[in-house]
This record gives sequence, C-alpha cells and structure tokens, in this order.
Amino acid sequence: MHLKYESQLREPLVSGNKNYRQVTEDIVRPIEAKPTRLWYVGFFIAVALLLFGVYSVYREVTYGIGEWNLNKTVGWGWDITNFVWWVGIGHAGTLISAILLLFRQGWRTGVNRAAEAMTIFAVMCAGQFPIFHMGRVWMAFFVLPYPNTRGPLWVNFNSPLLWDVFAISTYFTVSLLFWYSGLIPDFATVRDRAFTKLRKRLYGLASFGWTGSTKHWQRHESLSLVLAGLSTPLVLSVHTIVSFDFATSVIPGWHTTIFPPYFVAGAIFSGFAMVQTLMIIVRKVFAMEDYVTLGHIEAMNKVIVLTGSIVGIAYLTELFMGWYSQNKFEGYTFWYSRAYLFSPYGWSYWGMMACNVLSPQIFWSRKMRRNVFVTFFMSIIVNIGMWFERFVIIVTSLYRDYLPSSWSVYYSPTIWEMGFYAGTFGLFFTCFFLFAKYFPVIAIAEIKYVLKTTGDGYKDQMSAIEAQPLEAFVKDQTHHH
Amino acid sequence: MEQKKYWQSFGEKNQSAAYNQDVKDEFKEELPFVEDESKSFLETAAPRRDFLKYVGFSTAAAAVAASCEMPIKKAIPFANKPEDIVPGIANYYATTYVQDGDVVSVVAKVRDGRPIKIEGNDLSPVTKGGTSARVQASVLDLYDTARLRFPTIDGKEVTFEAADKAVAAAMGGNVVVVSSTITSPTSKEVIAQFLAKYPGSKHVTYDAVSYSALIEANTATNGVAAIPDYHFENAKAIVSLGADFLGTWLSPVAFSKQYAAGKKINEKNPSMSKHIHFESVASLTGSNADEKYLHRPSETGAIAAALLSAVTGGSVTGISDATLKAGIQNAAKALVENKGAALVVAGSNDVNVQIIVNAINNAVGAGGSTINWAARNNTRAGVDANFVQLVKDMNAGSVGTLILVGANPAYSWHDAAGFTAGLAKVKTTISFATKQDETAVLCKFVLPDHHYLESWGDAEAISGNVSFIQPTIYPLFKTRQWQDSLLKWSGNTSDYLAYLKSYWSTKLGGDAGWDKALQDGVLATTPAAFSAGSFSSAAVANAVSAATSAKKGGAIELVLYEKVGIGAGQGASNPWLQELPDPVTRATWDNYVIVSPALARTLLKIDLNNGGQADAYEVNPPKPVVKVTVGGKSIELPALIIPGTHPETIGIAVGYGRSENIGKAANGVGKNAFALASLQGNNVSFTNSSVEIVATGEKYPVALTQTHSRYDTAQGNRTEVMKELTLAEYKHHPTEIREERADELRGQISGGEKLNDEEVLQKFEGAGTIYPVYDRPGIKWGMSVDLNACTGCGACVVACNAENNVSVVGKPEVLRGHEMHWLRIDRYYSGDMDNPNVVFQPLMCQHCDNAPCENVCPVAATNHSSEGLNQMTYNRCIGTRYCANNCPYKVRRFNWADYTGADSFGDNQTGHVNDVVLNMGDDLTRMVLNPDVTVRSRGVIEKCSFCVQRLQEGKLKAKKDSRPLEDTDVKVACQQACPTEAITFGNANSKHSAITKVRLDNPNRSFYVLEQLHVLPGVTYLAKVRNSDEKEVEEKKA
Repeated sequence: MHLKYESQLREPLVSGNKNYRQVTEDIVRPIEAKPTRLWYVGFFIAVALLLFGVYSVYREVTYGIGEWNLNKTVGWGWDITNFVWWVGIGHAGTLISAILLLFRQGWRTGVNRAAEAMTIFAVMCAGQFPIFHMGRVWMAFFVLPYPNTRGPLWVNFNSPLLWDVFAISTYFTVSLLFWYSGLIPDFATVRDRAFTKLRKRLYGLASFGWTGSTKHWQRHESLSLVLAGLSTPLVLSVHTIVSFDFATSVIPGWHTTIFPPYFVAGAIFSGFAMVQTLMIIVRKVFAMEDYVTLGHIEAMNKVIVLTGSIVGIAYLTELFMGWYSQNKFEGYTFWYSRAYLFSPYGWSYWGMMACNVLSPQIFWSRKMRRNVFVTFFMSIIVNIGMWFERFVIIVTSLYRDYLPSSWSVYYSPTIWEMGFYAGTFGLFFTCFFLFAKYFPVIAIAEIKYVLKTTGDGYKDQMSAIEAQPLEAFVKDQTHHH
Repeated sequence: MEQKKYWQSFGEKNQSAAYNQDVKDEFKEELPFVEDESKSFLETAAPRRDFLKYVGFSTAAAAVAASCEMPIKKAIPFANKPEDIVPGIANYYATTYVQDGDVVSVVAKVRDGRPIKIEGNDLSPVTKGGTSARVQASVLDLYDTARLRFPTIDGKEVTFEAADKAVAAAMGGNVVVVSSTITSPTSKEVIAQFLAKYPGSKHVTYDAVSYSALIEANTATNGVAAIPDYHFENAKAIVSLGADFLGTWLSPVAFSKQYAAGKKINEKNPSMSKHIHFESVASLTGSNADEKYLHRPSETGAIAAALLSAVTGGSVTGISDATLKAGIQNAAKALVENKGAALVVAGSNDVNVQIIVNAINNAVGAGGSTINWAARNNTRAGVDANFVQLVKDMNAGSVGTLILVGANPAYSWHDAAGFTAGLAKVKTTISFATKQDETAVLCKFVLPDHHYLESWGDAEAISGNVSFIQPTIYPLFKTRQWQDSLLKWSGNTSDYLAYLKSYWSTKLGGDAGWDKALQDGVLATTPAAFSAGSFSSAAVANAVSAATSAKKGGAIELVLYEKVGIGAGQGASNPWLQELPDPVTRATWDNYVIVSPALARTLLKIDLNNGGQADAYEVNPPKPVVKVTVGGKSIELPALIIPGTHPETIGIAVGYGRSENIGKAANGVGKNAFALASLQGNNVSFTNSSVEIVATGEKYPVALTQTHSRYDTAQGNRTEVMKELTLAEYKHHPTEIREERADELRGQISGGEKLNDEEVLQKFEGAGTIYPVYDRPGIKWGMSVDLNACTGCGACVVACNAENNVSVVGKPEVLRGHEMHWLRIDRYYSGDMDNPNVVFQPLMCQHCDNAPCENVCPVAATNHSSEGLNQMTYNRCIGTRYCANNCPYKVRRFNWADYTGADSFGDNQTGHVNDVVLNMGDDLTRMVLNPDVTVRSRGVIEKCSFCVQRLQEGKLKAKKDSRPLEDTDVKVACQQACPTEAITFGNANSKHSAITKVRLDNPNRSFYVLEQLHVLPGVTYLAKVRNSDEKEVEEKKA
C-alpha cells in the first residue's frame, strides 16, 4: 500500500495534526480578528519612519542632491547602495516561488506567500532610490522609450541604467502577477468566510469571482507554471543587470567580469536572510509555528550558508585578481582601499567579510541551523553584511579611483540620506503590516497540497481506517454519502 | 524637352474656377466662434466646441498659473539702436587692467553694452597677450555689489558738487597724497599739478607689500632709485632667492611669458634654461624650479653672500647644511657657465640681500642682457621709509589733509594701529576707494573712483611701453575718477579725459595717433638698446658683512607671503579668486599656516609617511589649529602640511581677514597677517626669525580641492597619469616616454608582444576595442598642454569660470567636494617628500572619442559630436551622475543645489547656498554672465565644452568668409588666458593647424592621460622635463 509509505528521512512540512479546516482557520484567523496591540505599535512605527522618509525626499527634491553628502568624486553613495540592497532582498521571493516550484520543493509552500510579498515590497523600496537619486526627478520619464514630441532624442539603449529600468519593472510586474494569482483562491476562502457585507464585497472583488471549479484550478495551476517559467530567468537576470551598472564601467573595483554570478548569489543570500527575519517574526506573532517549522528554517539556513560561501569565494577571487592582473589601479582598490583594515574605509570591507563570509559558517552545524534565536540574529547580521558589500563596492571604488588628484574627502551620509533609507524601511514595514493583517500570510490552498502526505493527522486517520473491519469501513463510507 | 506637368485632380489640371476658389479658401469651414456675445454660450451655434475650448484653455491656464510660475524677465529692444552695438555680437575694446601697480594690457569683451570677459592684449610688447587669475577675475569686481554707489561725507550720501565744495572748504594744512604705485604718466602729472597748488604738500607712494629694499639697493649700487626691467627670456640660468616671480613678484604675467620661452623644448635639439630656487616656504615659482633648495629666512643673507663668493671664484662659506651648500655651488656653477645670460632675483625686503644680489648680477653679466637698466619696471615704487615718516608726521599732527588713492594702510600697514591713530589726528581725510575699505571707513570724505573698465587712463609698467585705458561701459554708479577730482580741486577746468587726450595727442601726432593708440590699447615703441647700467661696488662689502653676521634665527621662523589669487588683499572680495584653489596648497576660501612635513611630525603629530595618519589628514577637512606668536602678537589659524617647505619655517598668507564692508566674499575669510610683519631698518620685513608655534588642539575645516598629491602608491607608480623626466634623461634616451606608453598599451592588443613600439601606438585605437573604428573627417578639435610651459598659475581656471558662467559655490560647498570648476590644475609631488619635485597638470574634459560617460547615460544627455566634442545637453540631463562616476578623469561637475537661481523651484536657495553664492545671483552680479552660455540649473551635470560657443563663432566667421577654418578663428578661454602659451588648441585634422604641428613636433614627449583605458582622449600632454642636476641622473642610470 503506497499510501502507507512513510519517509523517515523527511520530517513533516506541517506539524500539529492539522486538517484542512484547521489550516484555513489558523491562517485566516488573524485576518478576521482585531489586530493586536503589538501590531498597532509596529504599524505606527513603520508609518512614522515612512513619513520621515517622505520628508527627507521632499528636502532632496526641493533643495537638490546637495542635501546628501555625495561629491564630485563619489557620485553614488547610500542611494545606490540601498537600491542594490533592496533589489537583492527582493530576490528570495521569486526564487522560492518560481525555481522551487519548478524543482518541486514542497517546503516552499510554508513561506512562499510572505516571501513573495517581501519581494514586491522590497522592489518597491528599491525603486525609490534610482528614481529619487536623479538630480531632476521631475524629468524621470525621459528614461521611458515611448513615442514623444521631444524631438529626435531617444533613450540610450547602451546604458546599464536603462537596462535597469526594464529589468526592475519587468521583475516587479511578473512578481506582482505571480503573487496575486496565488492569492486568488485564498481571497476566495476569506470571502466565503466573510462576516460583513464590506468584507464580502472587497474580498469578492479581489478574488475575481473564484468559485473553485476544477476548470478554475486547472487554469490556475497552468498560470502558476507559466509565471514560474517566466520568473525563473528573471531571478538570474535582474541582479545580473544591476551588476552591469558597475561591471560595464571603467572604474577599478567596478569593472569586473565576476559581478553577475556574484551579485545573484549575494542577492539570494540577502533575500533568504530577510525571509528568515520576517518569517521568524510572523510565525511567532501569528502563532504559525506549525506551518513555518524548524524544517523550513533549516532549509533556508542551508541556502544561506551556500550562497554566503559563494560570495566569499567571489570576494577572494576579486582579491586574487587584484594581485594577479598586476593592474596597479585595481591593486590599489582591492588591496588598499578595501582589504587594508586601516585605510579610511577598511572597516566596511572587514565588516562585510565578517558578516557575510565568516559568521554564516556556523550554519554547518545542524544545531545552529535549527536554533530560532541564532537564525534570527544571523539573518540580521547577513543583511548588514550585504549592505556593507554594496557600500564597499560603490564607495571604496569611487572615492579613490584613477587620478590621485581627485581622491575624495571622507564620505559619510547626512541625516536626510539616512532618512531616505529609513523611509524605505517605513514603506516596507507599512506594507508588510498591512499585508499581514489583510492577506493570508501563508498560501492556504498550496499548503493543503503538502498536508496530505505529511500530516500526522492524515496518518492517524489512515491507521484508524486500516484497523477497521471491512463492513465497518463500507458502512462508514456509504454513511458519509 | 517639355517640362512634365503633374497634377492631383482634374480641377488642377484644367484650372477650373471651382478648384481655384478651393485653393484660395483653403479652410473651407467657418471657424466656430461664438456668434452672439449677448447669448449664453451654451445657446450659441457651437457650444460644445466652445465648451471644450474654454475647458482646455482654463485647465491649461490653471496648470500654468499653479505649477509653472516663472519670473517674467523682459528683454527690451533698443528704441534707437546704437550704431556699433549689434545684439548678440560682442565688441572688443582694448584697455588696461590696473590694480595698484599691477598693469596688464587687456581686451575687454563687451556684449550688449556689458563687459563680460577680459582677454589678454596680444599687441602688448610686455605681456604679449598673457593674463593672470586676478586679471581674469577683475571683470567681476565691476559688478561687485559692495562697491560704493555715491560720494559720502561722514558716511552720508552727497552729490559730487556738494562734496567738492566741502572738500575745498576743508582742505588745509599740509596736504599729503598717499597712493599705491601709480604707473600712469598723466596721473603723476595730475598729482604734481594738484600738489603744486598746496605748498608743503607731498605725494607718498605706499605699497602693501613693498619692494623698497630693492629700490634702496639699486640706489646704492646703480644710482637708480627704481626697479630695472628684467628679461627672463634672455636668461639661461635663473637663480631666485625666494622671489616668486611667476606668481606674485613684480610683474608675474610678463615674467611668466619670458620664463616659458626658456622652458619650452625643441625635441630635436633639446635645451632649456636652468632655474635654481632657494626658498623657505613652498611657492608657485619654487614649485616650477628645476632645482629647489630650502633654507631658513634668516639665512637668506648668508646664502646671497655665499653665492656671491662662489660666482666670484671664492668658496662657499658660512653655510652648514650640506644640501644647501651643494645647491649654492650648483647655482654658482650655472650662473658662471651662463655668464651674460644669467639672472639672480631676490624676494627679500632686506637691503643687504638686494645689494649682494645686484653684485652677483654684476658679476655674472646680467646687466644689459637679462637686466635692462635703461628701462624701469614702474610697477612698484613705494619706499617704506617715506611712509614711516608720514605716519610719524600724522601722529605729530603735522598733516592737515590726507588723500588716499588706492592705498589701504589701515588694513595692510604692519602698524595699522599707529596709522589709524595718526589718521584720527588729520583734520581732513579724503579717500577715493571704490569700497568702504578699512581706511575709507575712517575717512571723512569718500569719493568713490571708477572701476578700471569705466575709466580713462594710461599706464606705463615698463618705461616706454604705454598701455591705454578706455571705458567699456558707462559708470554704473555715481562715481568719479580720482584724477577728475584732483583736477577739479587744483582748479583745472578740463576733465581728465580731455587732459589725457591732449597729453597723448600732442605726443602721438594728433587725433589719428590717439585713436590708433586707443584702438590698439598699447603704444608700439621700438625697444631701446639694453643698458648694462653702472655698478658701484662700494656698498657691497658692508652688505656682505651685515648679511653674514645676521643674527641666527630661533626655533621656528615665519614667512608672510602673497597668494596668487588674493595678493595683498585686493582679490579678497572676488568670489572667483577666493574659490580659485591656491596653486601650491590647493586650498580655497582661507589663509592658514603652512608647515613642513617634518614640523607636522613633531608639532601636529601627523606623519605623512604613515599611511593611516596621512589618510586621516587627507580625507578629513578639519585641520589642526595652531597658534603663532610673533613679538607678543598672536594669530590662530589652521595648519596645512605643504612639502617643499623648510622644516623650521612656517608661512602665512597676507591679504585675508578683510573688512566685511568690501564684500560678502571677504567676510570672515581668514585672518589678517600683516600685523606680523615688522620694520627692519628702513624696510618692512615680511619674515620673522623667531616665532612661537603651538598646536591648540582644536580643528578648523579648510576647503581643499585636492586631498592627495602623489601619484605613486604602494601598488605602483601611476605613470599613466603623469609623465616627467629630467633633461639629461631625455637627451640620453629621447624615446623613453614613447616606449613607456607602448609598454602600457601592448598588453591590450592581441598579439601585441610581437609588435614594435610604433606599431603598438598606431594600432591601439583599432585593436583595443571590439567596435569598428570610424573615420573622423572634417574638423576634429584637439588640445595639447605643454607641462613644461604650464606654471600652474590658475589664470585659465578663472578665465574658464568667466567664459562659461561656472558657478561659485562657497566654502561650505567646496568643503563637501562640490566645487564646479570645469578646469582644474592638479598638483603632484614626486620624489623626496620633504623637498619634492612638483608638477602641475591642467585637467579639463578630455573629450574622449570613446567616452565612458557617453554610453552610460540612460537618456543620451551626453554624446559625441562629429567634430570630436563630448557634448553635454543640460535640458536632457536627469542627473543620475553615472557619467561623473564613470569618468576616469573626474572632470564632470554636478549642480548639487540651486547655485544660480536658475531652476523653477521657488525659495530653495537655502541651506547649502551661502550668502556669497546668493550674491552671485544678484541682478548686478549677473551682468557678468556670458549670454552665449547656458546658466545651468540644479540637478544637471556640466563640464568643459571646449568653449563650444567660441568654436561655433569661429566656424561661422570662416564660413562667412568662405574659407577653411584657421587657428586664429578660435581661441578657447583657457588658451587665451594662459601667460605661457602652454595650451594649444585647434583642428587636429588640419595639416596646417598649430595643434597638428605641436603633435608632430613633439612625438617623444606627447602622452595621453590614462591612455590604456582606450577612452581615446582628445587632449595631449607634453611630458614635464626638468633641467635638474645631471649627476643625479648618471648615478641613477648606473
């Protein structure tokens, strides 16, 4: 009896003897209940940060980029660092939803909804930086190649910044569609349980008239596969293209062919770290330990130690090439501006090394991988490290490039520069809090797929059935109908 | 063959009446206007269309009114157009820059009645078209908002008539006219006439930084109470004892021109003058020297004496330092070897030093060759002893009336308090200052003078070379030339113009001669034969014994010096000059204490050889503050570590700490160091042999535009950036630089190792890329900068500011690396950090043919013209700054804030835009803007355009004449301003252009900066060749 087969190698993806009804109940409960005090506190902090960010951006737009401490040599600083950092974070969602879907990784269902939401919000945050780092943001539409009346001028398809425009907008669109299409059956579930007219209307509208018919499911699954197929190359392409902003330039420290794979690995690394941060909070706050299990956490920690080691190899390769190329400009950037601890920005390089390469190595230990506190702490460390990585790449390359005459004074951000960054945190968490309140944070429909084969409840039921004499079984079954 | 006829319709073919009517009434339908105004529009024939029309109009109007409110600025056309003014076409008037004794013949570019740019006058036999930073910046002074706008008595506005009456009534007692050096022959006559009317009156010439010891020495040795005419171009050996003759000493513009003549190299037959410099604090001239030796200021006399001894065959005595001793021997050797083509100059205001220098010059045959005693350099005539006497007289109450012309002793006299006290005892005080300066504010009558661009006049800097001043604009304010006032007060009925005209018309043979002279701006005279002068050695022995027995200096000595831009304070109120990085220190907007790296180690605990300490010093603008105490007076200033300064000497620039009355740019900038000078014998000494210096532990930010100064790093010497070698090396191995270039490029060409050097250089353009190489027919603009000729003076930088409306950003913004200069002069050190070789490298946009900035702009705001220009389209720019990041030369500048008031956001010139910058946007100051160049708004990138407006003008000129473009059609602003002709510019595709010639003539010295990046720059540099000690080279080779 194949149904009786029980794998000893894999622990169940959902614990706690859930049945379908319970799953729905657990996941939809926070949507239907009043928000907790903690939710309000968190939400208002997020909104406050967002408003500070809005004011910071207002100042920058009104008074000029001079509100930031960038200068003639360091033309990009926190702005593009934050952009790349947020884009990187936005990678885990699609990776989890698309690539893991294609690879039939059942565990993804526990975290994919939140991870995708995180992707959408992270990309929204990321997008603010390239837009508002423009000196004349009111002319930002010049980057859009549409037929216009502005004479023969057209966008410059040679520019990696323009590639960014396409890469980011495509990624955002596809991620949004993917996320939303997954939400439709769940919205229908919420609609069906609605206890007010308004809820029914709104969730009804959001679920596009989903009835749960077989045809609907069939189409839904096809769409998921198609979108997964579309998204998969995007996971690789977006950060590749972001890395082209640097790799196609002539600046020592930027002009590096290793960037695309190194950036993609780094993006997945930071993305998974951010998923960890969020999921550990969500499972705690919404009591969803049964759905986001230690198994999930461990799986993601494995990805973190893998990608962290990949970026570590990339860092060492860069250092090696800085010496092996015998290019004195690269040599200076890699060995002095970065790797020399006592150079002005040496601390940021070693901060990056410590956070990204050294500390994730503790995840070789299973005990550490399954420790929630360690994981939470490490997820923050990794994201700090990945921020340093982008800062190191951008600032230490620019501030001392070819001509020693142009070497910059020490660049450190102004309050408004930091405020903009803080504002994107505000945006991110405002969105995330709203998401956690109004959207099913775990894909109800999808997690039910994995419930059957792994749930202890199912197993118990099956053994009860098997223990039944045939007559009782037949009677039971016919009685049901 | 019959012309074929095409037709569109039968109507057209047959020319039917209906068709013709149709053609006539092309718009057949009546336009649906409201037919009856009395009816409501909804009831009219076409209410729908009208409705849409109204909606459209009102929406647009509302949108315009609400969001796009722009101040309306009216341009009013001429009612009666003046004959010689064509709107949009510039007129050029020859005139003369006169600032105290400084005289430079110039041509003022006048657009629509406004002088907007000063160019050198090529016809001048003295300056030959050269200018300086101060000359270039002088046009901004015309529009200075701090200028006095009317005459005042006790600070209250009066008319000139009333002032004249009051002055006539008040004038009495002994009348003394105190002026800065006057070079104008007519003005001298005017003063003489005036003085003749008042018995007991006298004229005292006062120079803030005087050359009175030189005059005294010349009286003693040559019987000439003046300064002779120097000719550096005839010198093969130049020895300077601290005379900054390329920067601030006497006539730096003329001297730079002459000096460069000896520094330019003919590659085929290389030779150059040898310049050996002795100094205590790094200066512009010292930085250009072939060999430089450091000494204490108190040793100057001993060095001069030792040099005299050495050139006359004796030994070098009294010098303990071995390097210095060797330097004196080298100098003596060079002078003796070049007898008859040698020149020694000294910057000291110690008469003994100057007498000894005269003796050396006599010994090496300078008279008649490099010094012409027949002509005078009239630019400085002040004798300190006379002014000392005057101050005494004033304090004794024996001066009844004091008239100040250009002089500002209350600021620049070392004993300003003594002068001020004396001034209070003078009954009638009259100032002709253009601003309420430190002295004018103490005067009863202030009758402001014109700016030179509003004036008439003449100037004779070198005897026999007269340069004329003519107004280029009607006086902006109620001002009057001081000569007019004096003429009036001496009862002369003619005004100064009539006086001037009659003076010169008689000499020049009538009105025609006068007109010609005005048009040329200079009087062309055939130079008289040089005179060797008559030297008397009577005073030399005493001078030598005095010089050698001078008391030994204390632990630390002080040198007060003038800066190239600010001078003795004349440039302090000019924002362009304040923001001009000092060539030596690269600092703006401050004066400071210059300390040597050695002193920094002990005093400031900063070791520039320690990477971490050097980094911390470089990347952080706040610099340690030191307190310097001189004879009870002390001053606290930040310290800058400047290599090439003697370890036991510090330097402080004068000219700072001016009154806020003279302009916002001067307000609170630096501190006045004139008080640290002192009277030594008859003359004011700008050195002090014993001062105390302590670190206060505080820090003060100094706005440096260049933080790092060496091009060698632990990871390799960046010879791709800068190439320099010695003359001996060059002679030994002329193709050294070419080989070095080929070695740098070889690796980029596949199979490059098999190619020889020539092939590598030729193939690099095509082989270093995967893209096809295109022909570049037509014009290809190119530039070449001769690093041997460039002295780093900064004239080009200010010229570029003026020509291209480059914003002033103020000190807070320079501190943050936001300065906007399109052209900067990088200064690099090499060799020994305590006394390094210095090389200056003007760096502007390189107009790369494979420009890295162009392909990264997402909106194609910067692109390449068919003529090789890297163009910037401001309107298109959205300000991503990617181009600036990707520029390996870092020449792109971003408008970080609304510096110009040019953008449409109201009330946003706050925060980082300080008063100085706001003042640049004043309606008066804005008159200096070049209407041919867009004023950039906030948020866009800008950079050197190769003066594209001039290129267009030049091309049009050639086109109108139906001839190919010639070099004379186009001169870019930096090229025009350069006193040493270091910059060559033109069409590199033309076989006959100067740029082609320079490139062909200098194949061995030409290089491109960062050539191996394959950005294909359009600017060639000619490597710096230094005529330093040849033995050193031989040792190195061995």
